Amino acid sequence: MADFNVNLRNIETVSVIEVKGYLDAHTAPELENIFNQLLDKKQFKVVVNFDELKYISSAGLGVFMAYVETMRENNGDIKFTNLKENVFNIFDLLGFPILYEFYKDEKEAVQKFNLQG
Amino acid sequence: MRAKIKIIHASGLENAVLFSIALLLFNLIFPKHDSTLLSIVNEALVFFTIFFLYNYLHQFLSSKTDTPISLVINVGILAALLYFILAITNSILDAEDGRVSVSFVNSLFSILLVFVFMGAIVYIFTTFRELFYLRQKKDHSMYFKTMLVFFALSFFSNLLLLFDAALDYLRDAFYVVTIVLICLNSVRVAWIAFLTKRQKYYLLILAIILSVVFGMVFAQVSDSKTMKQLLYVFSPGLLTLFSLVAIYGAVYFGVIFFTTLFHLPTAEAFDRKAEEVSSMMDLTKLITQVFDFKELADTVTTMTARVSNSDSAWLATKIEKGIELNSVHKVGYIDAENISKDILSLVEESYDRLEIVDCSLLNNLTKNNYNQYKSIAISPLKVHGNINGYLFAARNQESTFDKEDRNAIQAFADYAAVALENAKLIKESIEKERLEKEFDVARDIQKKILPSKIPSTETLDISALFVPAFEVGGDYYDFFELENNKLGFVVADVSGKGISAAFIMAEVKGVFKSLSKIIFSPRELLIKANEILNGSIDKKNFVTAVYGIIDRKNGKLRLARAGHTPILICSNRTIQKIQPAGIGLGLSYSASFANSLREMEIQLKNNDIVVCFSDGIPEAKNSNKEDFGYDRFESLISLNCHKNLEAVSNVIIKELSLFSRDYSQHDDITLVLFKWNQKQ
Repeated sequence: MADFNVNLRNIETVSVIEVKGYLDAHTAPELENIFNQLLDKKQFKVVVNFDELKYISSAGLGVFMAYVETMRENNGDIKFTNLKENVFNIFDLLGFPILYEFYKDEKEAVQKFNLQG
Repeated sequence: MRAKIKIIHASGLENAVLFSIALLLFNLIFPKHDSTLLSIVNEALVFFTIFFLYNYLHQFLSSKTDTPISLVINVGILAALLYFILAITNSILDAEDGRVSVSFVNSLFSILLVFVFMGAIVYIFTTFRELFYLRQKKDHSMYFKTMLVFFALSFFSNLLLLFDAALDYLRDAFYVVTIVLICLNSVRVAWIAFLTKRQKYYLLILAIILSVVFGMVFAQVSDSKTMKQLLYVFSPGLLTLFSLVAIYGAVYFGVIFFTTLFHLPTAEAFDRKAEEVSSMMDLTKLITQVFDFKELADTVTTMTARVSNSDSAWLATKIEKGIELNSVHKVGYIDAENISKDILSLVEESYDRLEIVDCSLLNNLTKNNYNQYKSIAISPLKVHGNINGYLFAARNQESTFDKEDRNAIQAFADYAAVALENAKLIKESIEKERLEKEFDVARDIQKKILPSKIPSTETLDISALFVPAFEVGGDYYDFFELENNKLGFVVADVSGKGISAAFIMAEVKGVFKSLSKIIFSPRELLIKANEILNGSIDKKNFVTAVYGIIDRKNGKLRLARAGHTPILICSNRTIQKIQPAGIGLGLSYSASFANSLREMEIQLKNNDIVVCFSDGIPEAKNSNKEDFGYDRFESLISLNCHKNLEAVSNVIIKELSLFSRDYSQHDDITLVLFKWNQKQ
């Protein structure tokens, strides 16, 4: 239905997921696939770049909730960067900023991972 | 109907029996037909006996035309019997003294012998008639009827000799014309084409034997003195008829022999075509009945192999990753799969039409070796231009697939494609029905969960409006009557849709309903609710909620928000957004949930409106995928806040549906309004 695109790349030990378009119940499984791949490769440090994301539904949010625990248990995390204002508002309303780290810029998030070791 | 037919049969037989008895008695009483009158009466009796017997046998035999070979065999047995009788009588009686005693001729035995002859020729002739009409596309009955007339004329022409012996030229003329007509009618042998190859071989041998037998019967009856005289004395017309039928038999079976001979080379092709047609008919029937695609695929591969003269056949459908075999016929699963993959790897895209793959080429290109096959035909299963799979037919002989074979394979592939599509559609519609049922159930649950009564009072007016989405969302609101004239309320939204959301909603209702009776702080209540929900909702799901308590005595509102949309308070046309900190229920079960959650207390003023809603309102979209947003929402409230609550809520819903009229409603919409009326 709605267009959605997801792209995965690596910066050193950190995996960067770029999400584009509309992330809802129909497109969420695509993102889940990416997370499953990361778990298979034992890559737990994840940065999600929202630069080109236009919309996120509760099903889209659910994907991050489903995987964050595993990432943190394995000394990793999911960090969010480059959120548009409307997308950030959705996260903010739900209280995500209390539970997740949000950054303006992708580099910052990657650096944070590197500092943590 | 059946009874009627029986009566006709019986009456036909009755007449025949009646006349033959009359004929028998007549011949016993008048052994010699000395006078002309006696001869005429005798001939008439013979004629009618034959006529009625013919009519009866015609009805009897016409029901057996499905098996022409057995009719031919019956004729053959009778012809052989006639020849046998003729040969015996000739050798015994002719040898005696060459002259037949009158007493013998007139004995009962000789009459019975004549009756046997009469019955046999009528049976043979009737069979010829049935064969003549068998499988005729055009109406040629004129020819046959003319012949019948000349048979009768030949029969009666013998009587002319009684008046004037010089009239024998007339008899001979009728005789010759009848023979010509016999020859003309003998070429109507359309039924031969419809026999199977085996039956044709059979008929070929039968026809040559019968042609010779009939020739010999004719020769015997012309040569012999005894039988000829016997028949002639009994009835001259019968002798003529007998020789004519013998000629007919010889000519007809001669023609059949040559026709069958010429049909033999095409017999195989004809067989195959016939098989193809009948297989197609079977398949068509199957398509409308079979819901199980596997069963149909088995039929398709079996029939394809048979009709296209292939040694093996198999059918594969396209799946996400490559292909899946549905049915194999006389080939191993692994082999078929490997061959299919190799053949498909020969081309970049897919096979758009039927192609023949030479296996030597395949063996060169791939590591695998398929010695068992020489050539393989591959035909796509195409519906609406989409290829859903392939039908394969493989041969181990050198002979290539000719046009007929390819057409047959293509036809079966087309049928399989349609059947595949049907099976898919049926599956989809069942699934759709199931989903619709699920939605119905979910909607039902939701309806029952929402409060049926709105507890409005003089001081606190309340309006609640709920618009369900097509796919049931998880909106929920409720009111709880508390002690000291206080009112508790909750507006919540369960993430997810359908039946799973409805179940969580039911659980959430239970949690809030019971907690509202024991915890009177909104913050404490939400913290407890989060603890209870731990483990009972999926990691992926969460619930946003606002819980508040309004004191109806003094207009004090206390509330806490767990990730839910903010609360709007409209006070004298200005909107205040109340958004105390707090994360959604189910997002975190650690201390951070309680640590971040804040409670607020607000003193309502007279005519203040408190607006609680779900994200279905600000996130409603128009055809350009723009949000309805908070600005439109807030301005609508402030513009209409002087009206009563029903009117405010109606205006909002009207504007909202106008805005998103070209876009389907994705989420439930909930709007709960409170208006505080301070007692004067």
